[in-house]
Amino acid sequence: MAKVDERVQAQLPLPPPIFHMLLALCQGERHGYALKREILRRTNGRLNLGAGALYGSIARMVERGLVEESEARPDLHLDDERRRYYRITSLGRRVAQAEASRMRDLVQLAEDCLGQPETA
Amino acid sequence: MKRLYRMLLRIYPAGFREEYGSELERQFSDEYREAEGRRARIGVGLRALADLAATAPAEIAREVRQDLRYAVRVYRQRPVAMALALAALALAIGATTGIFSVLNALLIRSLPFREPERLVESAVPPLNLLLGGANAVDAWRNGSPYLEDVAFYDPKPMNLGIGRESWRVTVSETTANFLRLLGAEPELGRGFSDGEDKQDRSRVAVIGYGLWQQAFGGDPGALGSTIRLNGVALTVVGVAPRNFDFPEKTAVWTPAAYNHLSATYFMSRIIGRLKPGVSFDQATAMYHADIQRAWGREPQFKRLEDEARLYQLRDRLAGPVRPASLVLMGMMAFVLLIACANLAHLLLSRATERRQELAIRAALGASRARLTRQLITEATVLTAAAAIAGLAVAQWTARLAAIAQPAQLASRPYSVLDWRVLAFALGLAAATGIAFGVLPATLIGQMQRTQPGTRGSSASRMRAVLIALQAALTVTLAAGSFSMGRSFLKLMGIDLGYRTSRVVTMSVSLPHWNDHTAPFAREALARLRAVPGVESAGAASYLPLVDSKIQEGTFFRLDRSEPKQNARVMITSPGYFRTMGTPVIEGREFTEADRGGAAPVVIVTEEFAWRYPRQRLVGRMLYLEPASVWATIVGVVRSQRFLGPESDPWEVIYRPMDQYEQWFATFVAKVRGNPEGYLAACRDAVQGTDRGIPVFDVKTLDQRLADAVARPRFYTTAIVFLAGFALLVAAIGAYGAASHSISQRTHEIGIRIAVGGPPARVRGMVFRQSMAPVCVGVVAGLLGAAGLGHFLKHLMASAEPTGIWICGSAAIVIAAATACAIWTATSRVVRTDPTAALQVE
Repeated sequence: MAKVDERVQAQLPLPPPIFHMLLALCQGERHGYALKREILRRTNGRLNLGAGALYGSIARMVERGLVEESEARPDLHLDDERRRYYRITSLGRRVAQAEASRMRDLVQLAEDCLGQPETA
Repeated sequence: MKRLYRMLLRIYPAGFREEYGSELERQFSDEYREAEGRRARIGVGLRALADLAATAPAEIAREVRQDLRYAVRVYRQRPVAMALALAALALAIGATTGIFSVLNALLIRSLPFREPERLVESAVPPLNLLLGGANAVDAWRNGSPYLEDVAFYDPKPMNLGIGRESWRVTVSETTANFLRLLGAEPELGRGFSDGEDKQDRSRVAVIGYGLWQQAFGGDPGALGSTIRLNGVALTVVGVAPRNFDFPEKTAVWTPAAYNHLSATYFMSRIIGRLKPGVSFDQATAMYHADIQRAWGREPQFKRLEDEARLYQLRDRLAGPVRPASLVLMGMMAFVLLIACANLAHLLLSRATERRQELAIRAALGASRARLTRQLITEATVLTAAAAIAGLAVAQWTARLAAIAQPAQLASRPYSVLDWRVLAFALGLAAATGIAFGVLPATLIGQMQRTQPGTRGSSASRMRAVLIALQAALTVTLAAGSFSMGRSFLKLMGIDLGYRTSRVVTMSVSLPHWNDHTAPFAREALARLRAVPGVESAGAASYLPLVDSKIQEGTFFRLDRSEPKQNARVMITSPGYFRTMGTPVIEGREFTEADRGGAAPVVIVTEEFAWRYPRQRLVGRMLYLEPASVWATIVGVVRSQRFLGPESDPWEVIYRPMDQYEQWFATFVAKVRGNPEGYLAACRDAVQGTDRGIPVFDVKTLDQRLADAVARPRFYTTAIVFLAGFALLVAAIGAYGAASHSISQRTHEIGIRIAVGGPPARVRGMVFRQSMAPVCVGVVAGLLGAAGLGHFLKHLMASAEPTGIWICGSAAIVIAAATACAIWTATSRVVRTDPTAALQVE
């Protein structure tokens, strides 16, 4: 278990696009373009990943074992042969959780120092 | 638009493109389709472009990093072979780069002159012009149909005095137009003005930039100050531009009159600038016509005609070093090829051994392009490492070359840190990396088609070619090294006409040498002979192997009937020939009786005597000009090879020191025991004659000989070393090839032994098969070696052609060495256990 923890910690902090992609994949398998649109929607258009950045991040995530290519396809008539689907691995999920808790700690620290934002 | 995007995708590295290329394309087309309106589409395009620019470098770096990590892992499995390949390549790239830095300085970097390509030079001006006086020279200069302008110059060592300090420097006496002709604008002050080179008006000097810095601290007040050359006061009127030290590291230029009255006309050289539109060949033809016209009526000049040649200044400055460097460069190319063949061979073996791994990777979807890149990266890592190590070797080579063949101009030292040299090294590394990475990589295509486990026939063919190439080049190099080595030994065995062992030599600068020379020399010799351990001592105007210009010549007639001839004149003291170990062949040496008032006598060299075969010279009379003296020949001595074993013996007329007024004094002393220990004592003895006179250049004659043969020794050592190295690499290559082929054929060999083939016979078969390419290479190398002899002449004038014995012995050595290596490699066959062998795969 300690070993897995080490592997998780080694990945932190996550670059924002990867964090977003992991979060989006928690909701189910997606292909690249769908991921991009999902992230675009969630960030209100602030994070618009280009194709190179998107697949560069995917390649890195595959390499680090955060996501894997999925064999299963959704409905055949919905599917396009050419599209490749990705799903999050258990390591990926743990890394995302760890990143979230890291951010929570960070926010906590910031609030201790700065106080609650007034608009809250 | 999509097509354009697809094309741009090629910027990504192969691995990434294969994996995600179609997805990227797909996404682009989706976005493009969804964009509404022209502006939005352009926006999509621009965004895609920005995305590409931002992400491609990272992807490339990632993949290269992967390849590098993999390459290092692969190399770690074979440390010895890799280290050798690396060393061979580093040495080859480094030494080639070092030699290139010499060529770069000699041939490529431009000369510090205006339009240097139009400058020509000759050692021999049409001499009758000089005899005709300054007006004839002017007439020739102004009337030349092919030369815009001509300058005369004559560099020689002189004593320079500035204030209380004195130096010995090279001084060039030139015509007034010399600096102007070369296009050298003085750093400070002025050059010479017309008319300053007329007799008795030459009391001005231009000093070199280095001297200005050293003696005046760069003070502009140097202009107008007084310097003394051999005691004659001159006024400094200018400072030469920085880095300008032509000719021969000149420190001071003075204007001089060039006609038959000047003492130095015999040795002056000319430099000319071609008229616009006149080619070098045309100028050469017209110069020869000039020489013919000038000398046709003067038979005594006939002998000089061979020397009367026009040179391009650039060639002249590169001198004998140029062809030597080119030949050395060629040899280095051989070694480079051998090293590359070695590397290719190694990578090839790796590629075949890794066939299975590569096939698996290919099956898993790695494309050929990806695998090719992997192999090229592996090769590039090696060559890049070799290139870096090579730069150190290059620096070292350039330094060695600078010692053996010093650069002619201060502005052109051999430097590795020149962008052309660095670009050359980089290009060499990249070219070898790509060429020899691609070679194994091309085999992958074929490997993917053949079943794993079958013999890669094209790979083994390639390997055979490489082995043959190595053997051929090694035989050629070995033949060259044998020939050079033998010639060098012969060179060292040549009779110089004097013995160099146990001799101390030194030079003296006499400030007013007009009257003092003989009395000074007599006293200095007495002091030298009084030094305990000195057996004998002598003085001469010029010593063999002393780097000074031998200026003095004379015209002479033997008896009354002979036509006028010319020869060199040297002045010696009694005891000189005995001290030098120069045998007196006939007659006697000079004695104390040959005084100023006594009858004039001379001694001539054997070389001189050969001009008059079957005649007894001793007792006959020589008439000397311009001295206008009738002198009796009292002896014939063995000719001294003045410039070392490579030089020819000269015709010299020796005169006794008391019968000659002014000469440049050098001293020799024969001592008992190690001469190094006597250097200080001998210097002090001569110095004691007159404290105010500098004694310099105190060296043993052995040391001078070593300096004189530094160049042939450098070339010989270089080639012997290269050949030895090539032999080592070739033998290891052959060993590797044989052992690799055995490991590839373990199965087959196992079957042969299992069905009853005696292991010794199987070993013989493998041995014969491995030797076949070596034999082909050796035969090819023999042809190369035969052609090489011609080029060796440029390295050592006395180099012998590569005859049948040399070529044959080189071939035998290479064949024997590789045979040993292969035979050792095949020892594994005998130990093969058939059952174990059959279980392989």
